[in-house]
Amino acid sequence: MVNVLHSKSFKRRQKKIVPYLLILPVVIYYIFFWVRPVINVLVGSFTDINTGGFTLGNFAMVFQDPTFWPAFWNTAIIVVVSVTLEFFAALALALLINRKFWGSSYFLFLVIIPMALPAVAAAAMWQTGLTPHGWLNSLLFHLGILDEGQKIFWLGGYDATKARLLAIIILVDAWTVIPSVMIILLAGLQNIPKEAEEAGYVFGGNYFTVLRKITIPMLSSTIQTAVILRLISAIQIWLIIVLLLGFGRLPVLVERIVYYHEEVPGLDISYQMATGYTVIVSILVSIAAFFYLYVSGAFKHREDAV
Amino acid sequence: MTSKSINKAARKTIFYLFVTTLLVGILLPVYFLVTLSFLSTREAYQFPLPMTPALKTDLKLGYGERGYLLSVWERSEDDYATVLDTNDLDKMRVYIQSILGTKITDEELAEQIARLESSGEEEVFFTQPRNLLYNYETFFRVTRDAVPALMRSIQIALITIVISLVIGGMAGYAFARYLFRGRDALKFSVLFVRMFPGVAIAIPMVLILANMGLYDQPMGLALIYSVGSIGLTVWITASIFLGIPVSMEEAAQVFGATKLQSFVRITLPLAFPGLAAAAMYAFLGAWNETVAAIILTQFNPTFSVVVYQTLLGATGQVNLAAAGGIAMAVPAVFFTFFIRKYINQMWGGMRV
Repeated sequence: MVNVLHSKSFKRRQKKIVPYLLILPVVIYYIFFWVRPVINVLVGSFTDINTGGFTLGNFAMVFQDPTFWPAFWNTAIIVVVSVTLEFFAALALALLINRKFWGSSYFLFLVIIPMALPAVAAAAMWQTGLTPHGWLNSLLFHLGILDEGQKIFWLGGYDATKARLLAIIILVDAWTVIPSVMIILLAGLQNIPKEAEEAGYVFGGNYFTVLRKITIPMLSSTIQTAVILRLISAIQIWLIIVLLLGFGRLPVLVERIVYYHEEVPGLDISYQMATGYTVIVSILVSIAAFFYLYVSGAFKHREDAV
Repeated sequence: MTSKSINKAARKTIFYLFVTTLLVGILLPVYFLVTLSFLSTREAYQFPLPMTPALKTDLKLGYGERGYLLSVWERSEDDYATVLDTNDLDKMRVYIQSILGTKITDEELAEQIARLESSGEEEVFFTQPRNLLYNYETFFRVTRDAVPALMRSIQIALITIVISLVIGGMAGYAFARYLFRGRDALKFSVLFVRMFPGVAIAIPMVLILANMGLYDQPMGLALIYSVGSIGLTVWITASIFLGIPVSMEEAAQVFGATKLQSFVRITLPLAFPGLAAAAMYAFLGAWNETVAAIILTQFNPTFSVVVYQTLLGATGQVNLAAAGGIAMAVPAVFFTFFIRKYINQMWGGMRV
């Protein structure tokens, strides 16, 4: 009798330990390879490289960097414009695919190809496309839009306006990103019960009123997910810019990190600059990430499971 | 009745025209990158670029001032263009092979020369098949490091898969089967870590990995990539294990299986498709990543870094760069199609 009781209590204790044993590797891994580097970079950004003491000088140096504010504002413009543009385009695409027309599954299959391309492959595509003798001008020529000898300098010479460069980067990036936003929205749309929209039609709504009054409100949590996740990746845009325009022509925050760390690594200030920019990018992304966790209810006390 | 059905047919036609136009617009850039990767060097530097790769090359041999005159059929001009005047047959063969991306052997060329000489005509015409993979062969041959970098990328991806499946899968199982204190906190930490910029880890990791002797090593990068993909694996595996009823494991235990046996025999096979998807995600994350790889490698770059450098330097020919881009894209597109069902788990599903 005693034995049975004993084994029962042992089992309960074991049950309590098992989940912790299962998650222990993740926790240890994160401490070593996430917490430690994050602390290192934070401490490093507040450390005087000569004296080893505390300083705000590194950040002062970053803020005084003549490319900091241009990089900041370029990033901000790209984030705001591209997230808005991509959201509406992706929503339209998701609504189209959700109509489940004949062949829509094949359509979906093909439409997500841009999302599947690695960033360098997408960059190769636009780099070869946007040069004066690239495939985009060739296509326009074959379509009869451009005459012989007439070429559009998409990326301009050094006189290209910033607005034009931003517009091209935003459009090119949108091509890659729209499918990934679309696929999140599509999943949300597919979760909306058909009856809800049908009721809207029964009560005399047309397509757009049903969309505005029923579909979009029911989709709101999905929209939050899609927009914030896209926001986080938009803050970190850099590769397509560097591969189309090179370093420095259209500075953005992550491009500055790579620039100071890889392109001019020998300067006295390189490491502090790279660290400073890194911390700034991390703070911006963390704000967005916290906002995401907040709207998805992470900080509300809940008992229910996954 | 009839006018109604005509109306319906017309609307359907317009709808499909719209869908097709959209599809063409979306896929055109991909089509051109593929085409460019198949173009010969001669064609890749023409304007306008041909809209399709040629499958064969029409050639013409005649007599020139210095020897034989080689001409090639120009699709855009609808005429032959003279490209070479030489006595050196080796030079001519190399030109046809490399600049025209066309298959030809010494014997075949000698045979055509003999035909020209014996026929007594001013010129002879012949057609050779294109070597469509020439740019790919050349990219891997002339790009310093391309082949070892490819091997390293695969190695890194495999290590990342193992680390994240083992560590992430254990935590995913815990999430699916146990309620425990700190469960929510950990679940959201995992999501937060995944959202945190990789570049912010890569910069301080330079020193940490250097101290471990893993800087510029595939293992070092795999350790970094696992940070992101563990989070993903936790979420994917948690949702898979949730979908497999505990009662099945318990039933096995009733028949005398141990807990571990029931997991290995019952749960694991059922979870296999999902685990495969998680593995493919880990592969994609490691394969596509560039910025951490740039920061954390020096002499041992990954394949994505090699393609990045080819594009950045703009020293490589455009058709070779295109071949590199496609080589990079093919495995990524391939795996994405397998896992498209799970794409929404990428960020912890719809509702967290």
